Amino acid sequence: MRDLPRPDPDPVIQAYKKDIDRTLIRENLKLTVEERFRKAMALAQFADELRRAGKEARRHRG
Amino acid sequence: MTDFDALLTTLWRHEVAFIVVGGAAAIAHGSARLTQDLDIVYLRTAANLDRLAAALADHKPYLRGVPPGLPFVWDAATLARGLNFTLVTSLGDIDLLGEIPGGGTYEELSAGAVELQVFRMRCLCLSLPQLIRAKRAAGRPRDLEALAELEAIEEEGG
Repeated sequence: MRDLPRPDPDPVIQAYKKDIDRTLIRENLKLTVEERFRKAMALAQFADELRRAGKEARRHRG
Repeated sequence: MTDFDALLTTLWRHEVAFIVVGGAAAIAHGSARLTQDLDIVYLRTAANLDRLAAALADHKPYLRGVPPGLPFVWDAATLARGLNFTLVTSLGDIDLLGEIPGGGTYEELSAGAVELQVFRMRCLCLSLPQLIRAKRAAGRPRDLEALAELEAIEEEGG
């Protein structure tokens, strides 16, 4: 059986789109591609550090 | 943490034919979403499998999520026997894809891909319309928010 064609615009995507923070997108679009990757790596490093700190806090709490 | 700079540079130095896809391609186009790995579609010719095997050989590639100690030989023959490989390496996580839904193979994607100048090198990356088509075709619930963001990037002129 063939899939039915998707409505365009897709109402599900439109619903998600309302919650997208466009200020973040606009700031990223001002950066070079390399700056976007470096920013993503810095964020990932920050997330890793938060995970580590959270794990340690849970360990200390018992 | 995945070192995009080091992974892309090692692939480029070994002259691997590949296209950046997935979350890393979304970052290149301006996405603010975090991604944990580098996804690439690679050309499946014998010569390119040799180059890809050589590129990652020094970085301890191993199958991600499988128990340690499982026999795994990293070479072009292993690549030839499979299609998609999810790997952990000393430079971070990388997914090697022979093809993607809604996009196809390296040969099918490369004509529409865009060239990135990044980390003192050049590489191919899915264009924003290709990325949106691929996400739509994947049809995974977890991609809906990413798809909404990609469409917003397109509307913002990205």
